[in-house]
Amino acid sequence: MVRSTIFRGSQQNMATIVSVIAAIAIISTFQIINPSFLSPQGRISLVYAMSYFLIAACGLTMVIMMGSFDFSVVSLLKLAALICVLYIDDIGLLVIPLALLVCTGFGFINGLLFARFKVPSFLATLGMSLVAEGLALYLSKGFLYMITNRTFRALSVTFIGGLPSIFYWGLGVWAVSIFVAFYTPFGRHLYAIGGNPTAASLCGVDVVKTRINAFMLSGFLAGLAGVLYMAQFGGGSIEMGADMSIPLFASVVAGGTSLAGGTGGPHRTLLGVILITWTQAGMSMLAMGNDRQLVIFALIAIGMSVLTTNRKSASIVK
Amino acid sequence: MKDNVPIIELKNVSKTFGGVVRALDSVSIAIYKNEVVGVVGENGAGKSTLMKILAGVFPPDSGEWYYTGQKLTFPKNPKEAVERGVAIVYQEKGVVPALKVYQYLFLGHEDKYSEFFRLKTNEMKKYADEMLKEFHIDCDIENFMYELSPSTQKMIEIAKAILSLRLEYGSDNTASVVILDEPTAPLTVEERQDLFNYILKMKKATSFVLVSHIMHEVLEFTDRVYVLRDGKLVAHYNLSEDKITENDLFKAIVGKEFVEELHATQTGRNVGDEVVLVAKNLTKKGSYYDVSFELRKGECIGIFGPAGSGKSEIIKTIAGILHFDKGVLAVKGEEAKSGELPHVRLTKGVGYFCGRTEEQLFFNWSVRKNISIVNMEKILRKPLPVINFNTEKQVTEKIMQKFRIKTPSVDTDCQSLSGGNKQKLSVGRWFERRPDILLLEDPTIGIDVGAREDIYEAVLEMKNEGVSMVLVSDDPKEYSTLCDKIIFMKSGRVEKVLNALEFKEAIVT
Repeated sequence: MVRSTIFRGSQQNMATIVSVIAAIAIISTFQIINPSFLSPQGRISLVYAMSYFLIAACGLTMVIMMGSFDFSVVSLLKLAALICVLYIDDIGLLVIPLALLVCTGFGFINGLLFARFKVPSFLATLGMSLVAEGLALYLSKGFLYMITNRTFRALSVTFIGGLPSIFYWGLGVWAVSIFVAFYTPFGRHLYAIGGNPTAASLCGVDVVKTRINAFMLSGFLAGLAGVLYMAQFGGGSIEMGADMSIPLFASVVAGGTSLAGGTGGPHRTLLGVILITWTQAGMSMLAMGNDRQLVIFALIAIGMSVLTTNRKSASIVK
Repeated sequence: MKDNVPIIELKNVSKTFGGVVRALDSVSIAIYKNEVVGVVGENGAGKSTLMKILAGVFPPDSGEWYYTGQKLTFPKNPKEAVERGVAIVYQEKGVVPALKVYQYLFLGHEDKYSEFFRLKTNEMKKYADEMLKEFHIDCDIENFMYELSPSTQKMIEIAKAILSLRLEYGSDNTASVVILDEPTAPLTVEERQDLFNYILKMKKATSFVLVSHIMHEVLEFTDRVYVLRDGKLVAHYNLSEDKITENDLFKAIVGKEFVEELHATQTGRNVGDEVVLVAKNLTKKGSYYDVSFELRKGECIGIFGPAGSGKSEIIKTIAGILHFDKGVLAVKGEEAKSGELPHVRLTKGVGYFCGRTEEQLFFNWSVRKNISIVNMEKILRKPLPVINFNTEKQVTEKIMQKFRIKTPSVDTDCQSLSGGNKQKLSVGRWFERRPDILLLEDPTIGIDVGAREDIYEAVLEMKNEGVSMVLVSDDPKEYSTLCDKIIFMKSGRVEKVLNALEFKEAIVT
């Protein structure tokens, strides 16, 4: 009897356990191949690789929890980063609220298209991502820009306790996301809509408003990630973060938030982000080519999905 | 007439779930040739578990399986069960609406009718046609499943079960068992009669196990009845020898006396003067026309009529699930426009409860979350929009006690509850919320008498405290138990309005 209880419990936490084991396995593999992986310098690289990513992934998790997709996250991140670099000399630090406002606005349109006009979310956000991409290209004309404003850069690269400040931004956003998901009615409503939208509506959840809010939140966090990304790198062009979209989705799924919606949550996403970004950073430290990296990401994402899906309760998957 | 050796006999079957809930405790049943065996009991009594063991969904923890006197192991999956002569027709609709009748009949057995990847369609059609004729099912093999009435669909489902037995188990062997899990739940009164006449004819071809909550059906159409309570076999009646009334059966199932009748005398009381809901010339083209009524505080109005009379559409319109084309709907003096969503109606005080729990509950959520989603206001740390988990737990425990919901804890997954407990949970959260107007659609569909009583009690308690209600149901008895006023609908129009007493007389005669 005791054994069966433990077994039941472990099944529920299967996703978490698998992620932890995978993360430990990957970290130790890299540490063995490359002894400087976890050295102070290595740690800083790892933290730089994961922090902005974590912020964007938290926003995306909220949308995926709700059973929807947001393909515009990466484009909005780029747009926000470019707005910062392009206008910082004209309006100073006001670029930050400007970038956040623009991205939240894009999120609002995403939500409106999906929730009000019933455009499937992957189509709406894919469309809006092209709009954002086009706008970014129009504004930047494809050139590379550098930032000289020290205050702006200090947002991400001030060192506290041996680690850059962007790391604390990431952790903070992560913690707030967890709080929102578990302790607020908004978070509860996201899970409700992901689990059973009809029932949610009958229980008094404003499905349209909640959906729009979730997309706005995702847009806002993509913008915040973009601002901090620019502060971290100090420059960039439209080319930056080109193939980040797949790793981003992979990190959410690898953490254990099902694309079907209603399960998982931002608490899971941290592990997924560590898994994905540290693998990426580790492979880059070993000077592995982009081609092999892509294949490995895809395999991790699919593999984690296979390992973490609870096939007993999952019905037919489409 | 009866063979002395049963086709299938289960001995001392026990099953425990999750180390806590004992679903079956040493239950033995036997099924003989050409008979209909009833299995009754409250939800959670272990009926479904027993049926699932028979159908090979999962094996029991202990027990023995005899097939015509021979001891065999338990079937490990439904296919193995079919190969041993047991097929099941589930309560939830298993039909595929987009298939034609003959395609659906052979679904899953195409391998028996194919050569080199090509289906032998003509032979399939011929066989299907013969089956429809043999069982006198009134439809054509080229009909699509969605074109058929619910009762015909159910008959086709049963025919499909028999066909699968014939294909996988042996064509002439009548030593087989078809399990019918609440076959009449989605059907109207007339359709139910049809279905049973059909089942009685089919007895020649196979034996049936009938799981049902509707007692007169069980008494009228089965040969023997097994009664389960709390996982134990508490009674076994041979209906050709024992004289059993509905009340006897009720007592055996619940273990206490019948009290439903008591409620009926309460109708008409505590109805206030304040009008809380007004419908004026409400029209939805194709569904209902010119429906007008006024609902007072503490009053329960029933909308009665056959399926297709528009009653279900009216209640869904009030809930905000459907739009209306013409007319006025007002909640507490405030106009409620067509196209308002359910959550807006809820803020105005209109709650909607439906007995089909899959539309109401979040199955992958715990009991706690399912209750609190409707009562979010009560569990917040005001003025912050932050959930107080302690209050949440207290509210849940209160409702679980009140409704005697049997679960190990407030964090048990809703999915693992039995049908009756799910329904009680679903009513319970509205009980806590207390909307001004509660819409009830088929509130006790598919649940047992014990749970039904609990739900009636809770509903009447709310009504006495001033909650107004609108009821739509398939069970005339429910109207006379709960309603003060009944609106008769016929093909989308109001035919007459009766009070509770007049309704009783109208239904009896």
